[in-house]
Amino acid sequence: MQQTQAHAPTASSPTALPTGKLGLWWFLSSEIITFGGLIGSYTVLRLAHPEWAEAAQHLSVVIATVNTVVLLTSSLTMVLAFRAVDRQEDPAVRTWLGGTVTLGLVFLLIKALEWSGKLSAGMVPGVSGFWSFYYAMTGLHALHVLAGVVVNAVLLLVALRGRLRPVAQRVEMAGLYWHFVDLVWIFLFPLLYLS
Amino acid sequence: MTGERRHPNYVAVWYWLLGLALVSVSLSVLPLSHTFTVVLVFAAATAKAWLVALYYMHLRFERWLIYALALVPLVLFGILLLVLLPEIVSR
Repeated sequence: MQQTQAHAPTASSPTALPTGKLGLWWFLSSEIITFGGLIGSYTVLRLAHPEWAEAAQHLSVVIATVNTVVLLTSSLTMVLAFRAVDRQEDPAVRTWLGGTVTLGLVFLLIKALEWSGKLSAGMVPGVSGFWSFYYAMTGLHALHVLAGVVVNAVLLLVALRGRLRPVAQRVEMAGLYWHFVDLVWIFLFPLLYLS
Repeated sequence: MTGERRHPNYVAVWYWLLGLALVSVSLSVLPLSHTFTVVLVFAAATAKAWLVALYYMHLRFERWLIYALALVPLVLFGILLLVLLPEIVSR
């Protein structure tokens, strides 16, 4: 297949990598530190506070498992959108991007319902170190999911207007970010719900 | 370089991800020792993370510089854990 506009060369000559991809991985690198700081601190403090296990019992493994499946599936739909871009299958791009946006919204809705249940039961931030960390980590993650949903929704709108082709490499960039958000949840899930 | 793109079997990876998630949840409800369960659950999480990173994020097909950007912060994360370790040991 000939090189198409979907892969418009934007290489940074010293690295021979597309500048957008290099920049995005640089950003993800800093995000690993951001989440790593919270996750690392929580891990150490959790080991030092075995009594936090009692608080963790109040979390619903069922809800979190559903959300895990939702997010893993959204990563699949996102990467399928990326493949459809490469194959210039425009209807498939729209379908898979739409699926990713929908699943992202489902995740946020389930998270909101989970939070409201906990908050109304008095499990608020600050009542213990566990709950402070729980809301900080899942809240920061949810903000990242929301940002990803917005980005993907914008790409979907552009695709629906038939104007995605000139900027199609952005689907790959958005995908990298979305998979990272999924990666963070892959660790938050066992850390908070299964430990 | 995005001219020749390799697209692995994404759906197969998804099945593996779901399977590992299911294994993790199942392990957490079995009457095993807590330490053993936690180790296995995080091993499964690491495997899932590797699958997403290698195949969905295409790290498997990227140049070394991208690997470095992904791995260096993980090393820093490990250092953070080591720095905080006395917090547990002293208790």
